[in-house]
Amino acid sequence: MLRYIAARLVQAAVIVAIVATISFALIHVAPGDPFSAVMDNPNVSERVRATLRAQYGLDRPLPEQFVRYVGRLAHGDLGWSFSHDRPVREVLSSALPNTLLLMVIALVGSFALGILIALIQVARRGSGTDHALSAISLFFFSMPDFWLAILALLTFTYWLPLFPVGGAIDPVMHEYMGLGGRIIDRLRHLALPALTLIVLASPGVARYQRAALLDVLPADYIRTARLKGLTEREILRRHALRNALLPIISLLGLSFPALLTGAFFIEKIFAWPGMGLAVVSAIGTRDYPLVVGGVILGSIMVTVGSLLADLLYAWADPRLRAR
Amino acid sequence: MAAMKRTWLLCVLLLIACAGTESRSGKAAGGTLVISTGGDPDILVPSLLSSVQAAQIVDQVYDRLALIGDSLSIVNDGGFTPRLADRWTWAADSLSIAFHIDPRAKWHDGKPVRSSDVRFTFQSTTDSTLGSGVRPLVSNIDSVTTPDSATAVFWFHARTPQQFYDATYQMPIMPEHVWQGIAPSAWRGSEPARHPIGSGQYRFVRWIPGVAVELAADTGNYRGSPRLSRVIWSIAPDFNTAVTRFLSGETDFFEALRPENLPEVAKHPELRTKQYRGLSYVFAQFNLRDPANVARPHPIFGNRELRRALTMATDRATIVRSVYDSLARPALGPTVRAYPTTDPNLRQIPFDLPRARLILDSLGWRDANGDGVRERNGRPLRFSLAVPSSSKARVQLATVLQEQLRQAGAQVDVEKLDFPVLIERERKRAFDAAMGQWNTQPSPGSVRGSWGTGGSRSTSGTNYSSYENPVFDAYVDSALASFDQSARRAYFTKAYDTIIQDAPAIWLAELMPTVGYHSRLELAPLRSDAWWAHIPEWWIPADKRIPRDNAPAATSIAPAESAGKKTP
Repeated sequence: MLRYIAARLVQAAVIVAIVATISFALIHVAPGDPFSAVMDNPNVSERVRATLRAQYGLDRPLPEQFVRYVGRLAHGDLGWSFSHDRPVREVLSSALPNTLLLMVIALVGSFALGILIALIQVARRGSGTDHALSAISLFFFSMPDFWLAILALLTFTYWLPLFPVGGAIDPVMHEYMGLGGRIIDRLRHLALPALTLIVLASPGVARYQRAALLDVLPADYIRTARLKGLTEREILRRHALRNALLPIISLLGLSFPALLTGAFFIEKIFAWPGMGLAVVSAIGTRDYPLVVGGVILGSIMVTVGSLLADLLYAWADPRLRAR
Repeated sequence: MAAMKRTWLLCVLLLIACAGTESRSGKAAGGTLVISTGGDPDILVPSLLSSVQAAQIVDQVYDRLALIGDSLSIVNDGGFTPRLADRWTWAADSLSIAFHIDPRAKWHDGKPVRSSDVRFTFQSTTDSTLGSGVRPLVSNIDSVTTPDSATAVFWFHARTPQQFYDATYQMPIMPEHVWQGIAPSAWRGSEPARHPIGSGQYRFVRWIPGVAVELAADTGNYRGSPRLSRVIWSIAPDFNTAVTRFLSGETDFFEALRPENLPEVAKHPELRTKQYRGLSYVFAQFNLRDPANVARPHPIFGNRELRRALTMATDRATIVRSVYDSLARPALGPTVRAYPTTDPNLRQIPFDLPRARLILDSLGWRDANGDGVRERNGRPLRFSLAVPSSSKARVQLATVLQEQLRQAGAQVDVEKLDFPVLIERERKRAFDAAMGQWNTQPSPGSVRGSWGTGGSRSTSGTNYSSYENPVFDAYVDSALASFDQSARRAYFTKAYDTIIQDAPAIWLAELMPTVGYHSRLELAPLRSDAWWAHIPEWWIPADKRIPRDNAPAATSIAPAESAGKKTP
């Protein structure tokens, strides 16, 4: 098993290196300049422009810039963010906790809700409840995330003001709250974006899980369980669900990178200061180091997520473990 | 004795009356202003900032030597009021100005402001390794000397009408003791760039990236404490989220309402709007040079009469109304009405579609094949109009303009581009037409770079149209060299008339920014170049305050001694 993990980690390192190289090349050859806002100013002379380029090493040939970047990367330096005027590591590390908090809650919530919906649907398969839940799931599954986010924002912050209008904390009063108040303040701000993500992601999980459950229900061991006199609920919970979790584990592995890359539209609309917002905004401002840093982090998570999914697979399925 | 008692009683009653007046008017300091804004400031260094958020914050934290008046007059020192300098003296030959520093002025860390800080500010701003965009704006200043700790003398290369403006407007004064240990090339990554120490009426408290920036009243300030205790910029990158925060009462102020927001604001009796004259104008500019070979004139726009015909085919009043509603008016030319040098009755090319069609016919552009698009020598009257996809208003303008020009027989292909891509194309003159916007400064002199020959021929010039007319250049030069306000206006009128008739662009809209604010706020006048200039004079009557107004202002500031020296 250890040899397998080591081989997968080497494979992951190669993938990350390729992704980093491609993203570095692509963002640098894209038309535009990190200093566009400064450039579009009649007062900025060519000399100032040249000074800025030299300061950031953008006056050097692209291969040289790449070699320098890789050299710094080897020392753990992700470079300097032009748009934030601070190290990329600092930008990402300040956004990371917010994204992790939001995405962990959203992932756990959406998988829990999705599995629960699937169990209800399968338990009452063919009934009106099953059809209604299928229709509702399809409705939310096909809804664009930004649209639902705007709708949720307007509904629950403006027309029915139950939650604050975005942000991670109350910028005015947070510092003056006690510990309990601060936690409640965090949770109030977290609730709406997290719920929106859960509502968006859980239908997909439910559909996967429902299909997987329906696949295992005709199996012999389920028939045996029924003959043993187990109730339908016990059969589903103890026998069908565990065997039907394998596709969900794959889905979880694929969703893992979202823990870091975040959900851009949700973060933008709810003013949630996370990774997705930072990296996607960096593309618009041609903040090369921040884009590449974000991509590297994202690709690491994809490969790690894929590895974890495989390990979870092995844990859940003894046949794979034996191989 | 009885007389003394009566005097005492009178004094006590007078004091009570005064206190009562203060209480009734509610002008006692206090209250929190929360501003809804769309992004983080880029950097809190006056000579390096480029975002409007940074400008708003820096202008509260740092002071200038003198403050420009609301009329935006920049000739000599007319209209300027003392700030860090409590008085100034012009030399007999006007080639130097001695500023006397207010002896009460102190930095937020308690150290006194000295003339050496003024000299340091000038020297660092003009340091080539800093890469400041302000440097060319102060090129007429030769040096700053400090005969004593309270006097800073600005020496100029030449006597110009705006030399006082150059010395005071462009350079908020920075503390030498905070910055002197940091090489200018490393300022961008330094600690004071994110935790500034200034001498303004507000001091910096904290900046939580992506969340908020907070300032607190400097209660011991030499100009007195500002009326509001705290000013907070609450950051929401999405426009609709920022507006919703304002509408829901989470914030008190929103700086740039759109037409579609006005009916919603009107539904809230506790909200108000206020419009002011802005310094921005929007235009559709033609590239007068051939993108394939800039040595040749553009095959379509190289012809002045054709450009005039396209302008004539544009109903600017309708376009402005449909896109901006009441938040803009048709632009007069490459200028704005807020300038004292702008004649609001500038001669325009009138909207006259039939005449525009006749001119195009006479130029040989005719629709021979009946497809609705004119041709000449086999070339259709068709061109692309580049527009930044990030600007909803400019995309709308382009769409309406496309339809109006279609009626004249021109086919416009609207090309929505990423802003950096658009700038790149404009710099390389690789475009047919582009939707542009200039946000100008109080000096109308920037027209020289944007539309003058110098700005066309320089590789770094921003005259992307490559419009060149020596008559226009001469009038602008004469206007900028004139000390007499009426003569300046007369020269500028001739310059603007020249360029308007040459039509290197269709002058579309002059923006009339509209702010939204909570009715408990009492605003001071909103200055055209900076609505935030008078924030220290804004106040909230005591009887109208809400719980967040009474939150104690934080007192901590980041120590300057911990300044980093990280190189970008």
